[in-house]
Amino acid sequence: MDFRFTDEQEMLRDGVGKFLEKSYDFDTRQKLVRSDDPWSASAWEQFAEFGLLALPFSEERGGLGGSVTDCVAFAELFGKHLVVEPYASAILLAGAALAEADGDAAAAWLEKAMSGEAVVAFAYEEGRGTAARDLISMVATPSGDGFTLSGEKRLVHAGAEAAAIVVVARKGEGGPLGFFLVEAGTKGCDTRQYTTVDGRSAANIRFDGTPAEELVGAADAMDAILAKAVIVQCAEAVGAMGALVSITADYAMTRKQFGVPIATFQAVAHRLADMKIAYTKARATLIYTTALAESGQAGPRDLAILKGQTGKLGKAVGEAAIQTHGGVGMTDELSVSHYHKRLLACDAQFGDHSYHLRRVGQG
Amino acid sequence: MNIDFAPELEAFRAEVAEFFATAPTPAIREAGRKTTSVFAPFKECQEWHRILFEKGWVAPHWPEEYGGTGWSVEQRFIFAEEYRKADLPPLLPQSLGMVGPLLIDIGTQEQKERYLPGILNGDDFWAQGYSEPNSGSDLASLSCRAVPDGDDYIINGSKIWTTYAHHANRMFLLVRTSTEGKKQQGITFLLLDRVDYPGMEIRPIIGLDGCPEQCEVFFEDCRVPQSGRVGAENDGWSVAKHLLKHERGGGNAASPTLMRYCERARQAAAETLSPFGGTLADDPVFQRDMGELEADIASLAHFEKLAISGHEIANDPAFPSMNKTMNSELVQRASTMMAELSGVDGMARQLEALRVGSNVEPLGSEFDLISMPLYLNSRATTIYAGSNEVQRDLIARTVGS
Repeated sequence: MDFRFTDEQEMLRDGVGKFLEKSYDFDTRQKLVRSDDPWSASAWEQFAEFGLLALPFSEERGGLGGSVTDCVAFAELFGKHLVVEPYASAILLAGAALAEADGDAAAAWLEKAMSGEAVVAFAYEEGRGTAARDLISMVATPSGDGFTLSGEKRLVHAGAEAAAIVVVARKGEGGPLGFFLVEAGTKGCDTRQYTTVDGRSAANIRFDGTPAEELVGAADAMDAILAKAVIVQCAEAVGAMGALVSITADYAMTRKQFGVPIATFQAVAHRLADMKIAYTKARATLIYTTALAESGQAGPRDLAILKGQTGKLGKAVGEAAIQTHGGVGMTDELSVSHYHKRLLACDAQFGDHSYHLRRVGQG
Repeated sequence: MNIDFAPELEAFRAEVAEFFATAPTPAIREAGRKTTSVFAPFKECQEWHRILFEKGWVAPHWPEEYGGTGWSVEQRFIFAEEYRKADLPPLLPQSLGMVGPLLIDIGTQEQKERYLPGILNGDDFWAQGYSEPNSGSDLASLSCRAVPDGDDYIINGSKIWTTYAHHANRMFLLVRTSTEGKKQQGITFLLLDRVDYPGMEIRPIIGLDGCPEQCEVFFEDCRVPQSGRVGAENDGWSVAKHLLKHERGGGNAASPTLMRYCERARQAAAETLSPFGGTLADDPVFQRDMGELEADIASLAHFEKLAISGHEIANDPAFPSMNKTMNSELVQRASTMMAELSGVDGMARQLEALRVGSNVEPLGSEFDLISMPLYLNSRATTIYAGSNEVQRDLIARTVGS
């Protein structure tokens, strides 16, 4: 057994970490979130230079053949810096579906995604939430050589900016799930763009007889694609939790009330201890599940434990951080509230902790 | 990363599992199933101790030269995992887990020769005399007094929560030898090679669960030899701190026991009708509660696995305290779930049926028999070995960038 990152993974962490420390401090990040730009084009370029955009794809596909552990290694840092770039949706989800598909169109879009030339969005969530995949109701109806999509997708990260969108829909009424590709500007797309509570650009997209092309061959890999994205998203959440624990402890050591640092009050000290325990638990489960996934042994229950624990513990850590900071914890100015909102966002996607923990309890 | 144990370790696992499947007597197995505490039924526990001693497996964590097995950390973990999975009575920690390692580390040659063999073969059973009335987790406040007199100390005072002292033939304890300076600096660590010194009296305390597990020990002008002192006079605090590392340290795989509790709870839930129809196992609230518990136990298991593999998580100065806190609170949560599942069937006081070898049929299932005593006894897990409040104080000091 060995749960450490390799030297190469540590080097990658080191490089990405240094870049983010320098160019993605909280103030810079806040300026970006408040600007008209959906994310930082220069950060995205830098991610491409680090090889992150090509990392998860096989060498035959022009990628770097990276493992899920490689992604986890830097994703903790994405969480620590509250990165708003659409890495998970464009690379781990849409990119992965393209990489699994046959045909020249998929290959061409993948190449553009890997180089950073284009962003491809991923449309998955629906109105009732998609905790259970059975709830996905959007149907792709056969039409001529291709399909037409009808229905609405929610929380499509980078949905308004993407050059193309990978949509998860049923192949015919009541049919199996598949991936479908829609190019931006195709008729019958009504896109409503918004900024999420955690500062990312997203959109709800209504499709109305929108022509789409099936990504043939990709659907078989759907479980694996979603599993990997969930693990990496949990890594982001764990990174955010770690940052919250240390920010909150530092604050409690310096903030004085009644003439002494509030960290000396046992009620506060014990909350800090509980935050550290929660973070440690979530991180142990993240690392262990990552190792399981790398060896092909992570089953649905392992993933449910990870997603459930990260969601529940992350929310608890965020709420404890706000309470410890008191009034200033309630402000937009402080990073604390933003970490908490990122944790909420990680919990909400792909089924929240209530759903996953009940799945665990079902045995 | 690599999740798997090396193939030779899996062979070792099979060897251990085979021994656990064949070596214990029926009474030892029954004692394992009826263990409703950290402390297993005494008689069967000591029988099992002897069997393990004869196999050479009684002290895997001891250095080989003193009777340890010479196993790697992974082997010890696998041994502990299989042990818990087989539902065998855990060995009592005071002798092999506490005073033994302490003597190996800092005892005199004479003390080692005199005491280690009896600890190893199970002839001797040591009680731990730390706590005092009104002292609790603040050990520095202890006041049981020892005054030098010739080659002896004369002890006056009392000890409490002295687990199984009524079964013990030896005892290690902390006594106050000075009231000068800092409270921590006037404490001395003593070994008593008998527990029937004149002026010494042991009285069992009946616990919440109805069982005598803890004792009070009274000393009145009790004369004991100074040769039992470990370390220097007034330096007992550092000796005790050293011992604490053994008491709170990790590597003993608590999660398999917790998983066994969950298995039993699941089985009970599948056999219990829900007032809302179907069985409790189908009930969404049960599923959610069970899922939260099992997911938390999984996280503890992950934490333990990372720790034995040498991951940085084990180097955290808060590791022992986090381990103790998680583990003890999960024991309470699991036993709470068990007692709630038993419901009215857990309400019968069945001390006689709980005894190993009893002819008395339990009123309900064996699950119902043990769930309430386990729940009641496990209220102690967050109190002993430094209360969880004390652990959280220690953890809090390590938080920060």
